[in-house]
Amino acid sequence: MADETVQPLAKFTGHKYLVQRLVLATLTGRPIRISQIRSSNPTNPGLAPHEVSFLRLLEAITNGSTIEFSYTGTTLVYRPGLITGSAEGLGASGGVLRHEIPGTNARGISYYLIPLCMLAPFAKDKVNVIFHGNGVITSATPGVGDVSVDTVRTAILPLYQQFGIQNNIEIRILKRSSPGPGGKGGGGEVQLVFGHQVRLPKTLHWLNPGRVKRIRGVAYSTGVAGANNARMIESARGVLNKFVMDTYVFSDVSTAPLVPSQDKTKPGEKKRLGIGFGISLVAESSTGCLYSADVASPPNGGVPPEDIGKQCAYQLLEIISQGGCASKVAAPTMMTLMAMGSEDVGRLCLGRDVIGSEEMIQLGRDLNALGGSGWGLRDANTEEGEVVVSVVGRGVGNVGRKIA
Amino acid sequence: AKSLTGRKKPYRLSELARMMYNLDLSPAEVIAKWSHKDDNLDEDAEDGEEDDGFFKKAEAEDASNSEDRSVPVFNYEALEEKWQDEHYLETLKKRFASDRKSGQGEKDNDDE
Repeated sequence: MADETVQPLAKFTGHKYLVQRLVLATLTGRPIRISQIRSSNPTNPGLAPHEVSFLRLLEAITNGSTIEFSYTGTTLVYRPGLITGSAEGLGASGGVLRHEIPGTNARGISYYLIPLCMLAPFAKDKVNVIFHGNGVITSATPGVGDVSVDTVRTAILPLYQQFGIQNNIEIRILKRSSPGPGGKGGGGEVQLVFGHQVRLPKTLHWLNPGRVKRIRGVAYSTGVAGANNARMIESARGVLNKFVMDTYVFSDVSTAPLVPSQDKTKPGEKKRLGIGFGISLVAESSTGCLYSADVASPPNGGVPPEDIGKQCAYQLLEIISQGGCASKVAAPTMMTLMAMGSEDVGRLCLGRDVIGSEEMIQLGRDLNALGGSGWGLRDANTEEGEVVVSVVGRGVGNVGRKIA
Repeated sequence: AKSLTGRKKPYRLSELARMMYNLDLSPAEVIAKWSHKDDNLDEDAEDGEEDDGFFKKAEAEDASNSEDRSVPVFNYEALEEKWQDEHYLETLKKRFASDRKSGQGEKDNDDE
């Protein structure tokens, strides 16, 4: 939305919620200025590698965005352009955009995927991005708390169906990887195909969380024996079987990816990177709500797979007990899409702990600062004490599709 | 009915709605106030804000909370204990489609 009318910069401070703010700015077309990015950090002031990488991704899938950094990288001005997706001639070749993530990245790939999915329905053309490079971590990251790519695939992507966005959406895990030494880097490869672009997402009314009827999951091992998967699955099932009989956890064993070693003395040598294991569990309710849990082995190791499986199962129970139609992982996506919907009131039932979390409050404020309407809150009158959040959409939707 | 004595009851929705867009409070403070955990934490928190110079460094290095996380940090030992407690198990069982035979009754609970 590079219109000539000068819009005032929406100002934010701090490095937290950076991605969320960038996404909202892109969707609303408002330029933003973020200052004091880690300005008090004595060792690593300014933007971190994953944030820079996300900015590059943003630049690649939009046309006409400008990003300005200050000298120290602690201040950022972002003027969003049009979300073009993987249109030919704008960095993409053959309809596929290849985004390299540097080896210094410590965030899981979901850190990029979830925001990218929020932008994708509003793109002009389909979005088809391959993430590659020495920084792609497909597993959950215990250190920084990202979910695994399996959770994005099985618990986040299906949510778009509720908004009438369902065709040709896929995440392909081409190569799996766990975090490398020190939690940094991996060698995975993931492709996101998001081929359903809409003018406006449907207005959502989702008030009944229903009951959990099945649990699915993926246990993954990269570079370690597949027996780890069986051990994780067994201990997770041990906890969950009391609740749901219909539990099935898939097992995926792969070798750790081979990446060029950075050692200058031995050029051309390759090494294995990203050894580890983890499990992602997703509970589905009768009304289609998805609750997810993710635990992975720490990069230093030292945790037996039984513990990982059990922790994940307990985490899942905890998330289910928070109630509502969306878990904390999914709620930002849902709320963002609702806010971008038509000028109608959408309603979503959320657990008290979900709406009463820092992330959600900040999301509400950021939306408001970027021209969204305030959220209406009321009690859902259920035993669990859930909250119904009503959101009025902006009614702007996809600018690139306005004419078509 | 108890709206006048509302200060005593935590997690009141109207309170959250009021504080949600009060930009003087940080989200963390909003939650602390909402859950009424702040009653004695208030001064401590403010002290932390006032400190400058050397003390700020320690705060900045509190890495666990300084990045955006999507999976919160759980205390798994506490969770394990919690979910072995019969009381919690019973309350949670309501959230599950509770037919005992697997493979059946998936449709039955749909309209609940």
